[in-house]
Order: sequence, then C-alpha cells, then structure tokens
Amino acid sequence: MAARALLLRLRCARLLPRLRCARLPAIALGLFTAPGCVHVYQPLSSLHRPVVVDPQAANFQDLRLSVVCPPGGLVSRGEAEVLCERVSKLFENQGATVTTSGSDRIGEDLAEDPEQETGDPVAAPTTDLVLELRSRETHFTNDPLSWVLCVGTATLVPAYTESTFAQDVIIRDGTGFLLASDSLQGRIIRTFGFGTWAGNKVLDLVWRKKEDELSTAQVYAEVSADLYGQLSQLVFNAKMRWQILEEATPNGRATSPVPAERAP
Amino acid sequence: MIIVILGLLFLPTLIHKDPAPGMTMSRTRSRTLECERITAEVASQRYPGKVQPSRPRGEYLERSALVCAERLVRPGLREDRDEAILSSLQALVADLTSSAVDLHPELASRTWLVEAFYPSAPVSAKLSFATKNALVERGLLVSDRTPTLSAGDVDVLTRMPPEQAYPAACRRYNDNGSMGAEHALLAIVSRDPRETILHAGLCADGQWSWLK
Repeated sequence: MAARALLLRLRCARLLPRLRCARLPAIALGLFTAPGCVHVYQPLSSLHRPVVVDPQAANFQDLRLSVVCPPGGLVSRGEAEVLCERVSKLFENQGATVTTSGSDRIGEDLAEDPEQETGDPVAAPTTDLVLELRSRETHFTNDPLSWVLCVGTATLVPAYTESTFAQDVIIRDGTGFLLASDSLQGRIIRTFGFGTWAGNKVLDLVWRKKEDELSTAQVYAEVSADLYGQLSQLVFNAKMRWQILEEATPNGRATSPVPAERAP
Repeated sequence: MIIVILGLLFLPTLIHKDPAPGMTMSRTRSRTLECERITAEVASQRYPGKVQPSRPRGEYLERSALVCAERLVRPGLREDRDEAILSSLQALVADLTSSAVDLHPELASRTWLVEAFYPSAPVSAKLSFATKNALVERGLLVSDRTPTLSAGDVDVLTRMPPEQAYPAACRRYNDNGSMGAEHALLAIVSRDPRETILHAGLCADGQWSWLK
C-alpha cells in the first residue's frame, strides 16, 4: 500500500482514475467491449541495484534523521507530506529518530535550536543526517493516435501512456555537508485496451510464474520494495560515510565552518 | 473473425518491442536490464543509422530512445554486496583515488602501495588491482608490494575496534620498516557488511587519516 504514495507522486494518480475501468459508466463498457488496463513498472537505473541492508532490521539506532520532501516537480504539497510520512515511518522502524519537513529550503524548519536562531554559527546541528527527496518526470508519452486507434477498434488495439520518472535523493550531514546523492529512475507504462488486458490475464493464468504476474497490486508492491530498499541502503551508506568523517576530525566536526573572527 | 481478433490481441507485442515486462518479456528478465532514456539527438549520435535524427522542422511527437544493456553477470551469481560493489567498481575506485591524490598533492612523488580490506579475497584482489590502475592513470608510481605485519601485530590489531585498528596498523607499518618515507599507502576499506560503498584511508609517515 505504501507504494501508492509514490505512484501518486508519479502522476499516476492523474491517470489511474481514468484507468479504473470498472468505474466507468456501463454505457462505455458496452461500447468498448469491457476494456481493461494494465500497469507495468520497469526500474531503469539504480532502483533495482542489489540491496544488502535489511529494511526490517534496526540499522539506525541513535541516529537523528530529518526527511525533507519539498513540493514541486511531480509532487504537490499534500503528496509530499504523505511521502515524508511514509519514509519517516520506514526509518523509525529501523530505529532512527525522524523529523520531517516540507520546506523547499533545506534545514529551514529544522534549525529549532535557540542558539542557531541567535545566529551563533557553532551551535550543534539538530540532526545527524538530512535526507532530501525530490522527484521529476523526465519523459512522458501519450500518443493521441493510439487513443484514436484504440477507440476505433473497440479497444482491441491498446492505447499507451508512459511516464519516466527520477527520484532524486540527496543526503547531507547536519551541517549541510554532502554525503551521498543518487537519482533513482524508473518508468510506469499504462496500457489501456481489451486486447492487452485479456492477453495479460490469459498469460497470468496459464503461462507466467506467480512472481512474473502483471497486476496493479504487484506494481505497488514492487515500486515500494525498490524505493524503500534503495532509500535504506543509501541512508545506511551515508551514515557510514558520516561516521568515518566524524572519526577523521578530532572534534567530530569535519565541516563546521568557524569564521576566523569568531574562532577562540 | 476470431483470427483477426487474436491478431489484434497480440499486435502490440509484434509492433512494439519493449524492455518492460509484458507479453514477451518476463518481469524477472526485465529486471536484469540496465536502461537509460536518452534524447533522439543523443541516440542518433550514439547509434547512427539505427536512430534517425530529429527533422529540422520538428516532429509530430517528442521522440526519445530507451537504451538497455544486460548486466554482465547473471543476477544471483554473486553475493548482493559483491555485485553492488563490482558493478560500480570503476566509479567507486576513481572517486576514492581522486580524493587521495587531490587532497594530498605533496605525496605525488612517493611510491604508492595499495591494500584492500574486504571480506572476500577474490573481490579484494579486484579492488586492489582496480585501485592501482586508477593511480597509474593519474601518473603516480605504484608498487605491487603490500606492507606486512608480524603475527603478533595482527593478533593485537584484529582485537581492536576499527577506529583504533587502522591507525595502529599504520604506525606499525612505519615502525617495523615495512613502509618508509618514500611510500604512501592507500587502503580501500569496507567497514560494515551492510554497506555497498567503500572507504579510503591514507597511511603516510606512520600517520593514518580517513579520506572518505
């Protein structure tokens, strides 16, 4: 179910209501020979990289993590809040203390330390890591001709809509030092038409293995598993890098800028 | 009529070859592909003849190309951690070596030694070899020799926590003469079995420092 948040973000929410063919009026069903729809998800790069860390285990004990989901690109403010909430739950389940923010400026509403408000640059960061999630659509295809053919053949010839998305992940430490960044890319293909729907159902029943079946529920589960797995791995890698950098500096602050005039 | 309908059912699979899971491609097989979406202009430059460049007056639809390649090694053949490290080995090693060279230009005239600390010996050897290659590409002197420790040192060091063990090993390399003033050691380290990145540490003149 958690993948619904991501799919919403991919503007599939915009497409899905049109695709929930069972909800279409009976007139349309009669006209178009019970049309069906199939969603397919394909990870393009990074989303299906091997994940070693177990998202069910306590990987982030004693870690203060801030999740920032700025609205924009593919997400509205409401969708960003939902995503932040789900991702924060993911890391809370792994032992982290999580705060969320929807601010577009990183750290804007994270700096609640009164010392920071007074402008003291050496105030302690209020968080260990900041995870920033932004998403964008890199490609969208919706060919009107395919819809004309689809309608003209009573949906036997399917109509295609395709969306390629990128989930940009940036992880910084509490002082803003960049620890890791990645762009997780995938595509969602929506095929609308009786032909594809029926062929797909037949293949699911007689040919495909259970794990290869194509259903909307499978898409949700697969996107969730991929996204949450990669986020867990990226944050874990960033945490290790942050710990190394903390070890590298005797005072544990590799990146805190201290202006000369204020230095002791 | 039935034949026509059946033909229409499978028409999409015949005219539309797609790497996404579908009629002819299983989900499992689709996940073995690494794909990249590129613009028609880039695709026509990269694959001349296969992809036509955009027309000067534009097109009816915005065109792009999806370029896919199968992974070199079948999924499941290597451990997940090894696969994650080795599939991005060049980028990982280039990143680590550049941080060593750029942060310490004063060591450019020294002979560089490389040691990889990774639980799997075959992967460790690959890491070491790739790192040496990357250093050679940067124009540095690289030796195949690795510094050695006595059995007693190893016994003590393996019982220390990592944040103490690496600096202690570096001091011992210097004290026992395994490394001299003309050497610099770049250590490629995996600190936790759950991580899929590598860290770099530098040992020179008996002083250890973490680079990344």
